[in-house]
Amino acid sequence: MKFVDEFRDAELGRVLATEIAATVEPGRRYKVMEVCGGHTHTIYKYGIDDLLPENVEFVHGPGCPVCVIPMGRVDDGIALARQDGVIFTCFGDMMRVPGGCESLLDAKAGGADVRMVYSPLDALRIARENPDREVVFFAIGFETTAPSTALTLLRAKAESVPNFFVFCNHVTIVPPLRALLDSPDLRLDGFIGPGHVSTVVGGRPFEFVPAEYGRPFVISGFEPLDLLQSLHAVLRQLVEGRCEVENQYTRVVPYDGNPAALKVLEQVFEPRPTFEWRGLGSIPDSALKLTDAFADFDAELRYDVPGVRVADPKACQCGEVLKGVIKPWECKVFGTACTPERPIGTCMVSSEGACAAYYNFGRFAREREVV
Amino acid sequence: MSDPFHCTTCSDEGVPMVVVEVRPQGTALCEGDVEVMTDLVGPVEAGDRLLVHAGVALQRLEP
Repeated sequence: MKFVDEFRDAELGRVLATEIAATVEPGRRYKVMEVCGGHTHTIYKYGIDDLLPENVEFVHGPGCPVCVIPMGRVDDGIALARQDGVIFTCFGDMMRVPGGCESLLDAKAGGADVRMVYSPLDALRIARENPDREVVFFAIGFETTAPSTALTLLRAKAESVPNFFVFCNHVTIVPPLRALLDSPDLRLDGFIGPGHVSTVVGGRPFEFVPAEYGRPFVISGFEPLDLLQSLHAVLRQLVEGRCEVENQYTRVVPYDGNPAALKVLEQVFEPRPTFEWRGLGSIPDSALKLTDAFADFDAELRYDVPGVRVADPKACQCGEVLKGVIKPWECKVFGTACTPERPIGTCMVSSEGACAAYYNFGRFAREREVV
Repeated sequence: MSDPFHCTTCSDEGVPMVVVEVRPQGTALCEGDVEVMTDLVGPVEAGDRLLVHAGVALQRLEP
């Protein structure tokens, strides 16, 4: 397929790896965070880290929307799913995320009507087909997903669908990046920026990273050569003493993003004063809620949402994994009590989560051998 | 989705799709029998390649 095969060329990959090795300065260590879970997935699927010099390290960032959902919001979703007459809809991986006591999948097994959808538009269709039931969509995701929820709400409003509601958990990428950069226990040299979030927001929102924090930021595609090129660009900036936002993914990302998408986001959502992130704590203005114009579709106004706050399990170190302080295999429960089949932490639930990526692609056994 | 480890939830995932049929109200049917909202990329026609996430086309791709 065009733009896929040529970005998986093994020979070109080896050439880029050689260039990376020639670029870095011996005796200096480089820690580069890939913000997006999709990048983490590519790195381990294709073994990209095995091609790197020993002084270059990937740190896995908080860009998986499943991994950052706090347990309390999952419990709130389960409470909504248990309401009489409610059809609760969500994306597939959300069903397995553990709440304080159980997951949505457990709630479904217990009789709640929980259905998996691929798009909020599917949830709206279910609402049209079931006029005597109320349909709630569990909206999660960054700026890439939020336009889909926004367009669906615009359609629901235009059609006056009375039985469709959104439990909004959309988050935005810049506040957690800033929180990470302000974190005292974090040492990072540069960032590989999220490719598809940037199709919506463009490159400008990330300009604060070089301007205020002095770190290079390279927006990257998702194929193995994209990642190698982007890493090379970050390292080149560091070695040359430059610091700017670069766009490696120009075949998809315009530097100004998608103005039409940004417009619908502004029309439908406004910032929440604060939102809790798994492992990162509460971050001001880091999430979205529906504007007053869409109050009729707001599940948090329609239902009595418990709003519980649940502490992360003590054994789970997802927070430190998400901040890049520890590697997944350094977590006490990784691969023993916490596996993709029976996850304790969210990083093991989603295949974009750093722990699941390590586990699924054999890093578990290999890393333990090194120890 | 051919990759068994792929996460359908990932907020940074985009899937290239080809338009098969243009439908009313800003939607199009894409290969794989997927209905996609096209409001954010302007008018489309059969054969156009789109980057799709969660049922919405976010960008046009080169043919």
